[in-house]
Amino acid sequence: MTSPPQLDVHHLTRRFGANVAVDDVSFSVRPGQMTGFVGANGAGKTSTMRMIMGVLAIHGGEVHWDGRPITREDRARFGYMPEERGLYPKQGILDQLTYLGQLRGLSRHDAAQEATRLLERFGLGGRTRDKLESLSLGNQQRVQVAAALLHGPTALILDEPFSGLDPVAVDSMVDLISERLRDGVPVLFSSHQLDLVDRLCDSLVVLADGRVQAYGSADELRSRGPQRYRIRTGHDAGWLREEPGVQVLDVDGPTALLQLPDGIPDGLLARAVQHDLVEFSPLVPSLADIYREVTR
Amino acid sequence: MSTTTQSPDRTPTAAAPARTPAHPWLVVTVREVVVKLTDRSFVLSTALMVVLIVAGVGISAFMGGRSTTFDVGAVDTSTGTVAQGAQQLIAAGGDDLQVTSYDSEDALRAAVLDEEVDAGLVQGQDGFTLIGNDEIDPTLQRAVSSAVEEHVLSQNAEAAGTTLAELREGATVSTTLIGADAGRATAAQVAGFIFAFLFYMSAIMFGMTIANSVLEEKQNRVVEILATAIPVRQILYGKVLGNSLLAFGQIALFGVVGLIGVNVAGMASDVGWLLSASGWFAAFFVAGFIALAAVWAVLGSLASRSEDLQSSTGPVIGVIMVALFAGLFAQGMLLQVASFVPVVSSVAMPIRLLAGEVPLWQPVVSLLLTLVAAGLLIRLGERIYQRAVMHSGAAISWRQAFRLES
Repeated sequence: MTSPPQLDVHHLTRRFGANVAVDDVSFSVRPGQMTGFVGANGAGKTSTMRMIMGVLAIHGGEVHWDGRPITREDRARFGYMPEERGLYPKQGILDQLTYLGQLRGLSRHDAAQEATRLLERFGLGGRTRDKLESLSLGNQQRVQVAAALLHGPTALILDEPFSGLDPVAVDSMVDLISERLRDGVPVLFSSHQLDLVDRLCDSLVVLADGRVQAYGSADELRSRGPQRYRIRTGHDAGWLREEPGVQVLDVDGPTALLQLPDGIPDGLLARAVQHDLVEFSPLVPSLADIYREVTR
Repeated sequence: MSTTTQSPDRTPTAAAPARTPAHPWLVVTVREVVVKLTDRSFVLSTALMVVLIVAGVGISAFMGGRSTTFDVGAVDTSTGTVAQGAQQLIAAGGDDLQVTSYDSEDALRAAVLDEEVDAGLVQGQDGFTLIGNDEIDPTLQRAVSSAVEEHVLSQNAEAAGTTLAELREGATVSTTLIGADAGRATAAQVAGFIFAFLFYMSAIMFGMTIANSVLEEKQNRVVEILATAIPVRQILYGKVLGNSLLAFGQIALFGVVGLIGVNVAGMASDVGWLLSASGWFAAFFVAGFIALAAVWAVLGSLASRSEDLQSSTGPVIGVIMVALFAGLFAQGMLLQVASFVPVVSSVAMPIRLLAGEVPLWQPVVSLLLTLVAAGLLIRLGERIYQRAVMHSGAAISWRQAFRLES
């Protein structure tokens, strides 16, 4: 079997008047990987996603799918959840999902069957005939997710997919997305919820003012920052201030927060043992910390 | 795609690769039609219109078919005879006349005041008097007057030694219409009014439907999802086609209901000519409607809220009004010119065709012009629609829309 295709964004640029909203943005969304897309409001996330989906004209750069320039047909197989929500408020939810499935080339029967299956998984099996506007916002969001997953998409471009969802809904949605990931589908999702990004992402693209500030796998990014450690000894940890190669960031009685720019100095741990060492552990920064660091 | 078949819990049908459907516009068309047909207000308004048509046919059949009985009082044999003469004239009009005798003129006057009789006929020194209460039915009055005239004339003729028939000889005027459109003028006007009104009503009603349905998708950003699935112009085609079909279907329904009603009411012979004139109207209706539909779709795509739509639809409603009034009131040269202006011609040309002989090339050329205009408007509409419908934010003007970038 050939390896599943990957989505590549090459030097993507978009201007609105004099303002450069997306400035030379490049990254890849690898098959079977969840790529988080974070950045402040107006950083260019939505514009980038709309250019990937072909609903916003590209001013510079290219989007590649499976190693070649992306086509209409490629995009038609993607699953897309636009930033501004909304399907047809006054139409039954099963009916409109069936319609969207048909537009993506499913037969009426298949589209209805798959839509019913997804709605049941979201706990909306008994409300398939209800109008969208009669559902709660969270449930409307689930229908929106179903619309993106309906046709067995080859890639998922999800703009703020988790906003407005309760934790249970987030979990059931993550389950569904994970299934697609296991099939080798690349997933790009933007979010403001950094805890979720931290939990879900395999890699991360941090955008600020239209430019990529940081990009890499979660592990790479975590190890990129300065190495910090926590140390706890039996007595007051003030002695650490005298140690060479050690920057003490904070001391609180027997506990201290250290930064070790050149790694762990020789003899440090031996002396710590003499001070009745209780704990010495590296601190893994959260992606939220990294995000704050690079966008500061 | 082979990668979509791995997951064990996916149904085999869903594993079929998604692709653009063979006829995306057809999927859109079907949705437009189904949504409208399941829309309660549309169904109700259509049903109401059908009820109105049936009621209209019923009332006119009732009005045409009912008969009145007039009661006329008379005092002596002379007035009695005259009143009997009026009876034949009344009977010829489908009504009935009863003559009641009274003993004296006072008794007759009392009977008129008590409304026992509709009128009383008395003979005085210088002629006959028809006595009524508050008013006298004109039909009755005409009939009695004719009868009195007949009676007096024949008496006078007898006195002069001749007969009424001899006196009248050669005095009758008969009419013969030698123009080609003899007898059609009034009927053509009525038909023209019906055609003009149907076009006006459908063009505005379904035009607003198209504009609103475009706006709904723009407002809710569904269009962004649709645009990733199928080319945007396919959405436009589907909407124009779907709503056109609905408009034609509704008019056809009204027509069929009207014809059945007319047949049931036994009035079919009166309106048969209308049917033969409808062919051209149907052709012009279709062409004119499609030309307008593209404009409506663009209006929907330019708006950002339904309030915008209220103000921006003014010009197109204006054009439809011009078509309506040109059809109803234009004469001569003006009507000839109007019958070649696309959209306006949808009313004006059928009316010319109803009113008189028009060389065959004229409706054909006019129809072609409308079709060309429809094609151009759809092309133009496509370009604006594609850009405007993706543009969120405030409403945009036509001028801005041309400069917009997708």
